[in-house]
Amino acid sequence: MRLARYIGYRLVTALPVIFGIIVLNFLLIHLAPGDAASVLAGESGAATPEYMEELRHKFGLDQSLGMQFLTYVSNMAHFNLGYSYRNDADVSGLILERLGPTSLLMLTAFGTALALGIILGLLAATGRNSWRDNIISVISLVAYATPGFWLGLMMIVIFSIGLGWLPTSGFDTVGSGHQGWAEVWDIGRHLVMPAVSLALFYLALYARLMRASILEQTGMDYVTTARAKGQTERRIITGHVLRNALLPVVTLAGVQAGNLIGGSIVVETVFGWPGIGTLAFNALQSRDLNLLLAIFFISACLVVIINLAVDVIYVLLDPRMEI
Amino acid sequence: MVDFPPLNKISRRSALALPLGLAASTISNNFVKADEPVRGGTMVMIVQPEPSTLAHYAVTAGNIPPIATQIYEGLVTYDWDQNPQPNLAKSWEIAPDGKSITFKLREDVFFHNGASFTSADVQFSFMEILKKYHPFAPLLLAELTGVDTPDATTAILRLANPAPYLMKALAGRDLPIMCKSVFEGTQILQNPSANKPIGTGPFKFGQWDRGQFVRLDRNEKYWKPGLPYLDHIIARFIPDAATRSAALETGEAHFAGYSAVNYADLARMKTNPILDTTMKGYEMTPALSVLELNAKHPPLDKKEVRQAIAYAIDRKVILRDVMYGYGQPATGPLSKLFKTVGFYTDDVRNYDVPDRLDIANKLLDGAGLPRGANGMRFGIHLEVNSFGEQWLRQAEYLKQALAIVGIDLTLRSEDTATWLRRVYTNYDYDINEPFLSQGVDPVYGLNKQYLTSQIRKGVTFVNDSFYSNPEFDNILNEAMREQDHDKRAALYKKAQQILAEDCPLVWLIDVQYVSVFNRKLHDHTTGPLGTQQAFERAWLEK
Amino acid sequence: MKAGFTRFARNRMALFGAAVLLCLLLLVLFTPVIYPDNPFKLAGPALQPPGGRFLLGTDTLGRDIAAEIAYGARTSLIIGVGATFVAIVLGAVAGGVAGYYRGATETVLMRITEFFQTIPAFIFALLIVAILSPSVSSEIIAIAAVSWPSIARLVRGEFVSLGGREFVQASASLGASDARIIFHHMLPNCASSIIAVGSLLIGTAILLEAGLAFLGLGDPNVMSWGLIISAGRAVLRSAWWICTFPGIAILLTVLGINLVGDGLNEALNPRLRER
Repeated sequence: MRLARYIGYRLVTALPVIFGIIVLNFLLIHLAPGDAASVLAGESGAATPEYMEELRHKFGLDQSLGMQFLTYVSNMAHFNLGYSYRNDADVSGLILERLGPTSLLMLTAFGTALALGIILGLLAATGRNSWRDNIISVISLVAYATPGFWLGLMMIVIFSIGLGWLPTSGFDTVGSGHQGWAEVWDIGRHLVMPAVSLALFYLALYARLMRASILEQTGMDYVTTARAKGQTERRIITGHVLRNALLPVVTLAGVQAGNLIGGSIVVETVFGWPGIGTLAFNALQSRDLNLLLAIFFISACLVVIINLAVDVIYVLLDPRMEI
Repeated sequence: MVDFPPLNKISRRSALALPLGLAASTISNNFVKADEPVRGGTMVMIVQPEPSTLAHYAVTAGNIPPIATQIYEGLVTYDWDQNPQPNLAKSWEIAPDGKSITFKLREDVFFHNGASFTSADVQFSFMEILKKYHPFAPLLLAELTGVDTPDATTAILRLANPAPYLMKALAGRDLPIMCKSVFEGTQILQNPSANKPIGTGPFKFGQWDRGQFVRLDRNEKYWKPGLPYLDHIIARFIPDAATRSAALETGEAHFAGYSAVNYADLARMKTNPILDTTMKGYEMTPALSVLELNAKHPPLDKKEVRQAIAYAIDRKVILRDVMYGYGQPATGPLSKLFKTVGFYTDDVRNYDVPDRLDIANKLLDGAGLPRGANGMRFGIHLEVNSFGEQWLRQAEYLKQALAIVGIDLTLRSEDTATWLRRVYTNYDYDINEPFLSQGVDPVYGLNKQYLTSQIRKGVTFVNDSFYSNPEFDNILNEAMREQDHDKRAALYKKAQQILAEDCPLVWLIDVQYVSVFNRKLHDHTTGPLGTQQAFERAWLEK
Repeated sequence: MKAGFTRFARNRMALFGAAVLLCLLLLVLFTPVIYPDNPFKLAGPALQPPGGRFLLGTDTLGRDIAAEIAYGARTSLIIGVGATFVAIVLGAVAGGVAGYYRGATETVLMRITEFFQTIPAFIFALLIVAILSPSVSSEIIAIAAVSWPSIARLVRGEFVSLGGREFVQASASLGASDARIIFHHMLPNCASSIIAVGSLLIGTAILLEAGLAFLGLGDPNVMSWGLIISAGRAVLRSAWWICTFPGIAILLTVLGINLVGDGLNEALNPRLRER
């Protein structure tokens, strides 16, 4: 009950943040020169001024900034994300189409990074300064310094072209007509390299943090007390240290959620993954205002929600935490 | 008249061996494959980038026709000599005064929605859609005053003045025919069929999974009996160049036209046993890469300075290192592809001479622009074309090349919208490096780029270099209406000579597109429109 | 005995990082001597594999990749250090003011900080560079704009914990001005944490810059590692070396910075120092 109230409270405090994002994005994008009509006309090769005017009118670009903003806010209030004139389609439809692949990629990358990061950090911390620790440390140090797009390119060279193990790009084999498990397997094969490219950096981050966090906890008084009581190391770690050590990792993971969306732009472009990242970059290139605004809005909302979830997990992990 | 003459079977090897331009007229039945076409199969082609819309009648981006021409057809098609051949029109007759063209239409054609094709569709398509919304209409359809429909199978195009170029532009790629009942009474630009096109072509629109693919399905009721051979065409969109190549090499995709594959990868692809390449199918897609020089920005207002820039650039380096050898150095304002129809001439001022650097330096000295302490005469900006990686490479080369004659070039790279606004609306640029499609007739490429009347603020890809020469304007306007082919050719020769001398633009490369295809795919390139016409005869080996 | 060995091993890593950075600095310093020509110069035939006349081969235009990497190092460092500097100034001011004055000022400033942390950083940076048009300064602004919140939070935290310390209260009671207390007493006290975190930010900034340049938002007049990779990506399979070497350069640089940053963290930040 208290938890529900807490969640409600956090949701209400998130509202100004979301409104702020709407205002900032709108202003930022309108600071930029160039509009959607000129791009569309540019692709056509030539267009009459009348045609351009018609396009601008159709796009609402001939209205005042204030009017455009009011229209936008009122639309957002009705969960109407607007119309992408560039793609000739509903923005919400475009994003929904891309949400699936992006969520799949991000959740896979995030889950892998978090789970493996925690395990590797644990393994490294418990075998401090052993070969195990050193290998894990070196790998995470290198992974932490590797640009995701470069890793993706190198993996394509090795695993797709060199060895022929994995498909180069896309979400699935188009026109294969796979059903059921065959389809899952097919998508899975396409998912491996983008997910690894995206995950590796965060995996390294979480492993490093987990290791440091465990080491910090094992120096705490309660661990010394537990040791004095004669508890086994394993029991100390699993019983006390792990839960406390997870807290900073979970916090960081929540904060990083926004960065994961950004990272997916580059990775999705390299692998032709049909997600929001690719959509965002194309929208930026072609100055598709409504679409860009909506993507910013959605990803910021996602981050707010993830942060909320992190807070809730935090409360669950740490009973001492005040609600 | 034969309804649809058997198109020559083209041997890929013989086609490749022939020099560009000559190939078209000399190909014959010298090599007939033993294999007979097989029904069925799904062809995967790569289209790059993903079109923003399939509203083929209102947007002319180059990535739309490979998909749209499978669905929308034109009144005619073209043979390898670029002569019109019957398609939706069985025959035609041009009036002696050149002011009307009478088309006899086929009776047995149906749109994908079941409606039968009649002269009313032709009238509606030309007058209500194309003339009003097609970006080329101000050039191609300027003279069109009306379409008469005395009966269901006769359509008469009425022209204010003769328009000899019109007969070159009637294919599905340029002036497609839409279904009147789909569009009538609706707002054309908002019509739902924009992205679910309905036409008469061999393939019907199936599905568009944005960011992934467009699926086209076989039109069972296609008016050419037995065609098409394929069950489906899938147009795949892969943003990354290396990944596109990989998709072809692994056999995931069968066809990539319109240079969707990076030129750099072609050498390797040619050694791949499952792949082959062809430069055919682009005979009616001439294009030049150029530099536009803003004559309102000194010192580019001086002819000598513009000429010096033209002399300073080694087109062979661009050709070799930026275009990977595909194309030819441009010699003037018209593509060499116009040689086939007799409009091209290389009898113009030649900027590619051995002592070109000396000439450039002398011209600049003569223009009162001596070298400063750092060896530079003056500094100007180059707007980097945002449509692809290769334009940045070209810009990087130009910076080096112009530094040699003492011009300090600073590159400015902006996103597409900002770039277009800067160049075509604000005119706040010195040098721009666009890529100019030249259309099917000189009237398209020359008029919009060089006529004084085409200095139109806010309109993209028109005369933005402020070139204005009344004598030249008169020649072009005369050539536009001249019905006699030889007289027309003479006028265009004169026009090219004037332009080359005045040098409002620097013409760099006469672009050559390349198609890469899987050897299992046959008969994909059956005419000069190549990738931009229907794959009705294409078939896949089992 | 074991602890001593640990410290040694740890120092060795930081030393390795420092050695890498030293090499990089030397390379940057001596670039004009080793490669007097500008890196955009067409040095030889295109797409020469490494090992011949050109140590690391040539790119699609026949430019010397070794020279490109050498000049790219300068760009990466300028942008990495520049963006971090701007971020530290912004972050220290915002975090310092918030942590010193507390109350409503703190709430507002921290809300703004959180707000900027909520915006997906990379998309935000892309947008800024696109709006300002790609150049070294716009990249610095964009990277700083997404980096300052972490510094602001750090400084605020430090200030809050310092706020109660006797000497600050003493100076306050002696009538020192707010600015004097902030800049003379409090900021120097968190300098060590700022340096430690800031050094790690340089690495992140270099990665961000590479990502921006890779997507075509780098300064076209300046050679950078991301630009080389972005240009080489098209010929990835026929000329693997173009993409590979700058990637390794990024990796080594960021690794070196991180190792040094870690070392600094342990040396300067007592709370993370191992017992």
